[in-house]
Amino acid sequence: MGRIQIGEFEELVLLVVAINNDNAYGVSVMEEIENQTERKINISAVHSALDRLESKGFLRSEVGGATAERGGRRKRFFRITVAGQQALDAIREQRNRLHDQIPNLGLKYVGI
Amino acid sequence: MSVFNQEPPQWAIKFLKFYCKPRALEIIEGDAYELFYKRIQEEGLKQARRKFSWDVLRFFRLRYIKGLEDFNSLNNIAMFKNYFKISVRSLLKQRFYSFINISGLAIGLAACLLITMYISHELSFDKFHQDVDRIYRVANGQAGAWTPARLGIQMKIDFPEIEEVARLNGPYDQTFKIGDQVYKESNGFSADSTFSKIFTVQFIEGNPNDALKQPNSIILTRSLANKFFDFGEAVGQIIKVDGVDVLVTGVVADPPKNTHFHYSYINSYPDETWVTVGNWTGNSFYTYAKLAPGAKVEQINAKIPDFVAKYIGPELIKYSGHDSYEEFLAAGGKKTFSFIPMQQLHLHYPHLALGSGGNIDNVYIFSAVAFFILLIACINFMNLSTARSAMRSKEVGMRKVLGSLRSQLIGQFMVESILVCLLSSILALGIASLALDGFNSLANRSFGYNELFDALTLLKLFGLMLVVGLLAGSYPAFVISSFKPIKALKGESQTGGKGNAVLRKGLVAFQFAISILLIISTVVVFTQLSFIRNQDLGLNQEQVMLVKNVSRLEDKAPSFLNQIDRIPSVQSRSLSNQYLSGGVADWGYQTLEDNPRSYSFINLFATQGYLETMEIELLEGRGFNKELASDTANILINEKAKKWLGWDDVLGKKLSRGDGEDYTIIGVVKDFNYTSLRRDIEPFIFRLMEEDGRAEGNWYAANYLSLKVTGDYPNTVSQVREAWAQVIPDEPFEYVFLDDSFNSLYQEEERFGQLFTASSGLAIIIACLGLFALAAFTLQRRYKEIAVRKVLGASVQTLALMVIRSFTLLVGIGAVVAIPVGYLLMKEWLASFAYQINLNNPLIWITPAVFVAVIAWLTVGYQSVKTATNNPVKALRSE
Repeated sequence: MGRIQIGEFEELVLLVVAINNDNAYGVSVMEEIENQTERKINISAVHSALDRLESKGFLRSEVGGATAERGGRRKRFFRITVAGQQALDAIREQRNRLHDQIPNLGLKYVGI
Repeated sequence: MSVFNQEPPQWAIKFLKFYCKPRALEIIEGDAYELFYKRIQEEGLKQARRKFSWDVLRFFRLRYIKGLEDFNSLNNIAMFKNYFKISVRSLLKQRFYSFINISGLAIGLAACLLITMYISHELSFDKFHQDVDRIYRVANGQAGAWTPARLGIQMKIDFPEIEEVARLNGPYDQTFKIGDQVYKESNGFSADSTFSKIFTVQFIEGNPNDALKQPNSIILTRSLANKFFDFGEAVGQIIKVDGVDVLVTGVVADPPKNTHFHYSYINSYPDETWVTVGNWTGNSFYTYAKLAPGAKVEQINAKIPDFVAKYIGPELIKYSGHDSYEEFLAAGGKKTFSFIPMQQLHLHYPHLALGSGGNIDNVYIFSAVAFFILLIACINFMNLSTARSAMRSKEVGMRKVLGSLRSQLIGQFMVESILVCLLSSILALGIASLALDGFNSLANRSFGYNELFDALTLLKLFGLMLVVGLLAGSYPAFVISSFKPIKALKGESQTGGKGNAVLRKGLVAFQFAISILLIISTVVVFTQLSFIRNQDLGLNQEQVMLVKNVSRLEDKAPSFLNQIDRIPSVQSRSLSNQYLSGGVADWGYQTLEDNPRSYSFINLFATQGYLETMEIELLEGRGFNKELASDTANILINEKAKKWLGWDDVLGKKLSRGDGEDYTIIGVVKDFNYTSLRRDIEPFIFRLMEEDGRAEGNWYAANYLSLKVTGDYPNTVSQVREAWAQVIPDEPFEYVFLDDSFNSLYQEEERFGQLFTASSGLAIIIACLGLFALAAFTLQRRYKEIAVRKVLGASVQTLALMVIRSFTLLVGIGAVVAIPVGYLLMKEWLASFAYQINLNNPLIWITPAVFVAVIAWLTVGYQSVKTATNNPVKALRSE
């Protein structure tokens, strides 16, 4: 597998979609990220990232039923694809490999 | 109240619906609404509305903005994209035709572009002056350049309609000495201090109103000041101009190129009576007048007769010998002044335009040439497109079957022709920039690349391109789009129809007609030029060296002449006040009869050796003799003058300059030409100049020294130069050979000839390109026919001749059209020459036609022989 073309925010979105695999659409993904990371993000950024991930083949989407909370408008639900899972695994493995290589610098790690 | 009854800001919804791609709209809207309702509960309505708007604004990203494909009203765009794609493919598919089409059109457009640039430059002359519509040149009579000194000043006093006047002299050359450096500068003028109130002149230093008030003041242009003082301070410096100390009182910006008054420097007038007081009969100034706002020239014109009678009348009758001005008028005498708008000087009154070299005829001729060349290129374009259309008939049929409207097909072919024009325009810019130098010498202008790539010029090219594209594209577009789909799909040829073929042939014949016409013009212009050059002038202009600036010698003239006499290769020499070919002034003389007749004779002062130096033949009487002091009261006349006088025996007869100043005729010389052969020989009078260069008493009149030289020109020139340097080292040494000087009279004609050579060359190149492609196309269609003929026994020769014959006929038709038109045009042109070639020489007419026919044969012949020598099996087996 070649280099995975994926940004930090995209990775975050991909992870959240993987977690909420049954109910991942724009607003839910945004709220999940806000809850998990306490980052303030805009809905448009989430949409954009979801679209990019879909065009890269890491996500697929389908349009779901209408609900009153959206004024009768439908949702677009996203699911992670096999390629998306592989990408997440590859990234994780790479990170772990790098983490393992950090030597003990003998610095005192002070937690608060 | 439910949150679902609340509404986000309407503008944000509208904006979202306006920009958002339809396929993403529902999802985005849904998410935004969902967030909006949630926020109402959590943060309140106001905050929710604010955040909704913010979200909508944040969604305004390239990813979600509608593309061209999302606009229903623009769904033709896709069609245009397709047209474009098809056009490019069909151009690439037939590279050969495309190349000929594009390059022919590019040449035509390039010629047109350059000529448009030239014409708009010519028409822009003097327009930049403020109030130019109120500025007039006062002409003597109808269009005489020189006016009396007092005219302008008196008119300003007498006519309230005139706001300001200024007098001008020039252009002339002067020698400047700054420190040790000597410069010879041309484009010098003298002017009244009021000139800056009439002309728009931008002063960089100095006071516009006072700069020319004092004598011996001078205004320099910035470029000249920078040259003289090396970018240092110029105003206040004292420089030597022709040996006189002169104060620089102003520096002005260089005048723009498009002015008839193109100065490098402007002198003030000396404070002498011929300037300040002047007289009414000597004409030695150019007068310009600016009218008051609202004043009409007609008002002034109405007052001029009284004005002339009041001031000039009394002076005139002193010379004319009439008792009163009324009597002078009654005897047919005329004296008036005309006001000529300054804007017209450059193009309509070249002799008044201070050497700006404009000519309205040139503008017309250039326009005609541009038009013809473009026309030939357009005809190529049309011919090739219609000829090619047969190959595209299936495409057209298919499109029609699939529902294309005729208008859409027309659109398609228009797009194609505009595309070709666009490519040609780009190529044309390249060609034009390469040809710019050549064009400058043809047009006698100095255009630069900045003018060629000027936004306005490019805009014109673009406009030209659209016009040509639409015009040339419209015919093929209408023809091709009219195909019947069934026939087209069956492969039945529809362009082979009689009508189209005739039109195509007609257009080709028309191209030949234009080419032949231009070649005829070229031939006539050059024949006339060589006729003029080889015409016996009645004098020998060969081997005559003319030294200029002799007026600077004054008292040193004898010592210079002494040195000249020692040079062995100088056979004879003579001083004169003016020189033949350089413009000789006319002076009025009267007969001493009971009923005196007066005439303006061309009048030249020269020392004794003039006839010998110029080899002018003496027919009767004797020449001047410097030993006889009384010879200054004698004159020599030419045959024309004798004829005008009408006497059998003129020797000993007298002519008068008035006031008892009488001159005795002592000899008659053979007629000789003293200027361009456009003008006939006129009555001529020689007067004797004394050996030291003085004439009429003590006036130093010698300006030129003519030397008859035998061989070894370089050596002689350097010896004369040495002699000059010894006597007056400060003055520049200038000379010219008389034959060169005579030849330079025909520069305008020579440019004319070059223009016709260039344009007929272009015309024939473009026409041949078209012919070549057309012939190739015709042969391709008759490929099988030729093969069948060959199988049945026709020889290569017969076959080639068969094709050539049809094209020769077209040349013939072209010649039949071109020759009469050419005859009329050239007769008109020749009418301005006193000496003309005989137009009835058949060679002039047959040569161009034969020339064009030969070129056409070569173009077509190569291809027809190639086709005819092919193996017929190749053509026939592909059934």
